[in-house]
Amino acid sequence: MIAILALVAGVIAGLLLQPTVPIALQPYLPIAVVAALDAVFGGLRATLDGVFDDKQFVVSFVSNVLVAAFIVYLGDQLGVGGQLSTGVVVVLGVRIFGNVAAIRRHLFKA
Amino acid sequence: MTSEERRGRFPPDFLQQLFSDPLDPGYAAAAARRATHGPRPPWARRTAYVLKLLSLVVIGMLLAIAYREAVAAEPDRTRAHAGLVEEVKAAQERTDALQARSEELRRQVAAAQRAALSPAELARIREQEAFAGLGAVVGDGAVIELADAPVPIDPTTGKPSGEEVSRALDVDLQTVVNGLWAAGAEAISINGQRLTSVSTIRSAGSAILVDFRPVTSPYVISAIGPDDMLQRFNDSPPAAAMRDLAATYGIGFSTRDEDDLQLPAAPGRTLRYAEPLDSSPTTGGTR
Repeated sequence: MIAILALVAGVIAGLLLQPTVPIALQPYLPIAVVAALDAVFGGLRATLDGVFDDKQFVVSFVSNVLVAAFIVYLGDQLGVGGQLSTGVVVVLGVRIFGNVAAIRRHLFKA
Repeated sequence: MTSEERRGRFPPDFLQQLFSDPLDPGYAAAAARRATHGPRPPWARRTAYVLKLLSLVVIGMLLAIAYREAVAAEPDRTRAHAGLVEEVKAAQERTDALQARSEELRRQVAAAQRAALSPAELARIREQEAFAGLGAVVGDGAVIELADAPVPIDPTTGKPSGEEVSRALDVDLQTVVNGLWAAGAEAISINGQRLTSVSTIRSAGSAILVDFRPVTSPYVISAIGPDDMLQRFNDSPPAAAMRDLAATYGIGFSTRDEDDLQLPAAPGRTLRYAEPLDSSPTTGGTR
């Protein structure tokens, strides 16, 4: 419950404060969002499985975002940024889908 | 190495495993660690809890920022487009208003002429205005219709195929108009735009401009003239050329007689006067 409140508070803060993203970081924003979503759905599934762990969640979120950003950065330097971004999105998308499927099974038993 | 071992090391269908077991093993490992070593000390748990809430706040902000960026980036393009469309519409409305005003003023001029001139002079002016395209005229004549070819339909999908549409061009309009003048037309209008002896018909991009006003397909060319005008036009080379185009490219072309055509006056023209050149013989002559 508090976790959801924190999430909502973050959204409201983002909308109200209107922080601007530095131009240099803008290519990483969509990737960071997908990575964050992966962490959130992973955490949600773990909660439903009854094995949620605060530390694990924080580490998975931070490392997800950093690794995803690093891969895109590396791809940009190598000239294959677009393709690597696609790769990151596909892998994280698959994970999100799997986690959502598990959550669905928990909630609807189907 | 047996095939058994190999299968254990490299799962045969990696994708299926990815789909069926996407969760970090980390959560399970952490749970197992707690089961064996007991819970972590309270300070560590509290720190992790605070960090978790912080992460969630950051995630929420990320989502909001990404949303705002997406919303801000998209309409930039559509806004520019809508702005241009609005500008064009406003300019067209302004032109229409000015044209209405011009017609109103012309009516006033006509009224003033009626008051000031004798009937004979008035009739002479009216006659000349009608020929010059400066006065609205009513009469019998002919209507020629030109139109772009229909959009080609792909026979298998029933949707428009990507092929180029055959369009009626400015030269086609010019050909028809010149053919009508040659056939004895006294007044001609294209889509309600009266032509004068100095009117222009030309294309700008894919649009056709008549006296700098855009006209679109179908092009209705109304002409007032003698009774045999349509007959003469149909027998003339321009009409034959148009029939050729219609047969070859599918461009719409039809002619018919029509009574009681009403052609508006052309937008007023600034009168141009010839000026004598400098009378010194060295500079004159060739221009």
